[in-house]
Amino acid sequence: MKTIAGTTGADRRVDPRPPARSLLLSKSASRWQRTASFLGQGFLFLVTAFSAASILFIFYYIFRDALPFFQLRGVAEFFSSTKWYPTGSPPEFGALAIFFGSGLVTLGAVVVAVPLGVAAAVCLSDVLPFGLRQAVKPVIEILAAIPSVAYGFFALVVLAPLLQSQGGPILAVTAWCVGAPLLLLSSVVIGDLSTARLAGPKARALRLGVTFALILIGGFGLWRLGITLKAVEVSSGTNALNVSLILGIMALPTIVSVSEDAIQATGRDLREGSYALGATRAETLLKVIIPAASSGILAAVILGIMRAIGETMVVWMASGNAAQIPSPWLNFLEPVRTLTATIAGDMGEADHVTGSARYHVLFAMAACLLLISFLCNLASEQVRRRTLRKIEGA
Amino acid sequence: MKLATRRVLDRSFSGLGFFSIGIMAASLVVMLAPMFVRGLDAFVFKATVEHRRLMLERLGRGNRDATSGEVTRAASARQPVYDMITRFKTEINDYSADQRRIYRGAVRDLESLVRELLGPFPGEAQPVLIRQQFGQTRWDRAQAKIREILYVESYDYSDPTKMGVRIETPRVEAFRGTSLEALFPYIEAHAEEMLRPRTTVYWRFLFDGSMDAHFFGGIWPEVLGTFYLTFGAMIFAVPMGIIAAIYLVEYARDTWLIQLLRTCISSLAGVPSIVFGLFGLAFFINTLHVSESKSVLAGSITLAVLVLPTVIRASEEAIRAVPLTYREAALSLGAGKWHTIVSVILPAALPGILTSIVISMGRAAGETAPIIFTAAVSVGKPLKLWETASQPTPALPWNIYNLATEHEAVDEIRHIQFGMVLTLVVLVLLLNVTAIVLRARVSKKLRG
Amino acid sequence: MAPTLLATLRPPARPEVSQEGLTAHVSAREFSVFYRKVEAVKQVSFDIPSGLVTAIIGPSGCGKSTFLRAINRMNDLIPGCRARGELVFDAANVYSPEVDVVALRQRVGMVFQKPNPFPKTVFENVAYGPRLQGTRDRVRLASIVERSLVKAALWEEVKDRLSENALGLSGGQQQRLCIARALAVDPEILLMDEPTSALDPRSTTRIEDLIGELRGSYTIVIVTHNMQQAARISDLTAFFYEGVLVEYGPTQRLFTTPEKKQTEDYITGRFG
Repeated sequence: MKTIAGTTGADRRVDPRPPARSLLLSKSASRWQRTASFLGQGFLFLVTAFSAASILFIFYYIFRDALPFFQLRGVAEFFSSTKWYPTGSPPEFGALAIFFGSGLVTLGAVVVAVPLGVAAAVCLSDVLPFGLRQAVKPVIEILAAIPSVAYGFFALVVLAPLLQSQGGPILAVTAWCVGAPLLLLSSVVIGDLSTARLAGPKARALRLGVTFALILIGGFGLWRLGITLKAVEVSSGTNALNVSLILGIMALPTIVSVSEDAIQATGRDLREGSYALGATRAETLLKVIIPAASSGILAAVILGIMRAIGETMVVWMASGNAAQIPSPWLNFLEPVRTLTATIAGDMGEADHVTGSARYHVLFAMAACLLLISFLCNLASEQVRRRTLRKIEGA
Repeated sequence: MKLATRRVLDRSFSGLGFFSIGIMAASLVVMLAPMFVRGLDAFVFKATVEHRRLMLERLGRGNRDATSGEVTRAASARQPVYDMITRFKTEINDYSADQRRIYRGAVRDLESLVRELLGPFPGEAQPVLIRQQFGQTRWDRAQAKIREILYVESYDYSDPTKMGVRIETPRVEAFRGTSLEALFPYIEAHAEEMLRPRTTVYWRFLFDGSMDAHFFGGIWPEVLGTFYLTFGAMIFAVPMGIIAAIYLVEYARDTWLIQLLRTCISSLAGVPSIVFGLFGLAFFINTLHVSESKSVLAGSITLAVLVLPTVIRASEEAIRAVPLTYREAALSLGAGKWHTIVSVILPAALPGILTSIVISMGRAAGETAPIIFTAAVSVGKPLKLWETASQPTPALPWNIYNLATEHEAVDEIRHIQFGMVLTLVVLVLLLNVTAIVLRARVSKKLRG
Repeated sequence: MAPTLLATLRPPARPEVSQEGLTAHVSAREFSVFYRKVEAVKQVSFDIPSGLVTAIIGPSGCGKSTFLRAINRMNDLIPGCRARGELVFDAANVYSPEVDVVALRQRVGMVFQKPNPFPKTVFENVAYGPRLQGTRDRVRLASIVERSLVKAALWEEVKDRLSENALGLSGGQQQRLCIARALAVDPEILLMDEPTSALDPRSTTRIEDLIGELRGSYTIVIVTHNMQQAARISDLTAFFYEGVLVEYGPTQRLFTTPEKKQTEDYITGRFG
């Protein structure tokens, strides 16, 4: 036992100081402290719980006003008919075309935003030097910060007239911009692959020949396509295409930042492993990094979809608000109408007659939106959690 | 594959990345450029003498003598126009009945256009609407009007497979051979003397109320309404958000209940903004009756719920980023847990929390959908602070929508729409730049 | 060979401390600390004498810091950390539920491995503790701040910079500021957790000198991985290895004639 014997070391005593505060709490003080801590924590918990419970309130109050619609009109008409005449006599509440409109513009936004967003995210995390990356970040932040009504205003006042007057040429130029590089690349790749087994100078000549032939055929097709597109007349600038473009740009920041995080999270080991096997950067990214980050990218895409589907102002201002299914189905040049725009536009006339089907149908739409976004959110959370577990497990 | 092909693919892949980033940057520029250029047009423009007359008569601004001198000079330049029209109207009586009918119609159109350009004819009774009491106050609008006077616009629908083609025919054709023929060259040549355009800085655009449903004047009610809504939302969201963040970081243990709370908060972040609007209407107004109908208060609370998850999440991150050593130091000095949080952790996390608040402010200022049913009206006076509990207000985002789509003369007031958009965008950008700067300073501090 | 090597570590001329006639300020009795299932400190029993400098040495991960942080219950911050046995201070087991942790920490101050001043002014840093105890009077606060800074040998350097941000001081100054901040609460015991490991040699010397000056007025317990430092500044040394207290005794004896093989191996640098 390494104890110190005796207690007489008077020479080494600590300086005299005022009587120290007792270490032990009195019973009442201890009880008071425990109560105070309990009450304080309870208060904090209540505030937190109340904040979180807002979502429950939202669900309750939206569904409470949505149910009467289904009681009044049933379910079938709402989801299956395309006849939307809420003010007619008798009124008709077929929202299929409106659901279709929401779906169409969201699809368009995804087509615009996902390839651009993922490519930009990859570029940001793996290609750009640090300084440039720091310069691009604020661009993304500002793009995300611009109010949706400003986007809508732009779509309505600047983009719509442009599409209306120059729609055909714009489409043709876009087709060329997207098509020409794709064509060149695929020709080169197919030329290479088709002659991969051969060797010698003949192979080289053959490869060049195949490549050029492909380019010529494809180029001719592209040229014809360009001419067809150029002749297209856009009857109204406020259409699904306009809205899809703007929604795509609005969804870009979300997609870029979330998928960049996912791509960064894959770590350096994976990259070094691939580079060490002689893969180029593109091969590493496409075959190793993007598959490894795929669930994070999926989460990003879901968030982007949520942003597009829930957006109100842009579609209200620039989609044309025609409750019809375009013909043919994927004709982006026709006006459409979405759930959000319908709610925003019709509530003004309906909100004084609570109790009518016309009022409650809007809540039914909101309930559908709420459910969709809730499920999307759960899905993206789930996907992200799975990624986290994968990374932690590795 | 050949190495050369692989290399080409590699290059093009990087190229695609650069292209995407380029598209992002370009779309930002393409978006912002027209807003800045045409938005500034609301503040700095060529104002005609009518503008100065409006300012003087309506708001008592400007130099009375100089302006009235200008008005006289402009009137003398305009006199020949009025004379010619009067002369022509007497001249018509000599024509045949058919011709008379045609000319009467044509001259009536012409007169109303001239009235729009120059204001009421001398000696006419004062109209009720302000927009009819004055001519064009802006030179760009005046020039558009002059073009309308000089040319008749019509559409050619002869080819049914194509859309109508716009044709402009000189209006003078309708008056060939009459005395009025001379009017058109006169207007074209003397437009500047009649309207006396001068470059004017109208900075009060921000602080003036609107006149005659935004035909003239500024956007102060909207700006003020946006401020009320934004700060109102912050008053509710910031304390709740920070308290929730403190609880989640410092006290909450990893139980299923806390998991549930977190899921709820993240779901809240994903709710579409229009749903918030309906919720605000159904809950705060129709159920809780925070106000009789739309009010700034109801709108603020709705916006507060909308930004709450952002505030919570960002504050959580800021608090989590405070080094553990600060906590240890405070505790080792005998501080209690709560005192440690208040005296050490919150001050250290403050810049981060401020960043989140500033970003949420930008979000709240720009949101439109939640305030449509809870707070916004198209026309209104600037509110007093105590009126915000019961009165609705105009607000920038709502009125941009309203003026751009529902106003009776959408094309005539583009400059006001762009001015509003510019104001809103600059407001939001300023808030975001503040946030970016704050964040940069924080990270520098943590590194240093 | 060992004796010659040990001789280089011999502390400078300094009164030999005898274990006779000392007052125990803190006594550990069969004291253990667990991180969840892992026993980081294993049933140690020893007394820390009042008014002297006691050093705790040992290789990293040996439980020395854990033991130190147990004395003012800083381990409470780590989830899943609990203690068994007795750690007696002022006639009370530090870990018994009726102990007021706040009072305990006011009487047992602590200085950490890395200087950790608050991002406040120099003055506010030192005044933080006294304010906690309810001192509001500006004049009294100023005198406490001055006295503490003087004790920490920092007054001359910062007396004109009291209202500057403490993060602007150099590392060594920051650490002395942390000592001053701890002293301002007027503790009886000062715990130091490798206080010089993040500092350059000159600052280290100043801190060591400071510890020498504080000796006698405070009971100082210092954890260090630097054996020379332990030899230079401490009166008693405890050697921990894998959570076990291997040897404890007057520094001079421990470094010259260690009783245990493990101690000797460690001191002579054969492991750790």
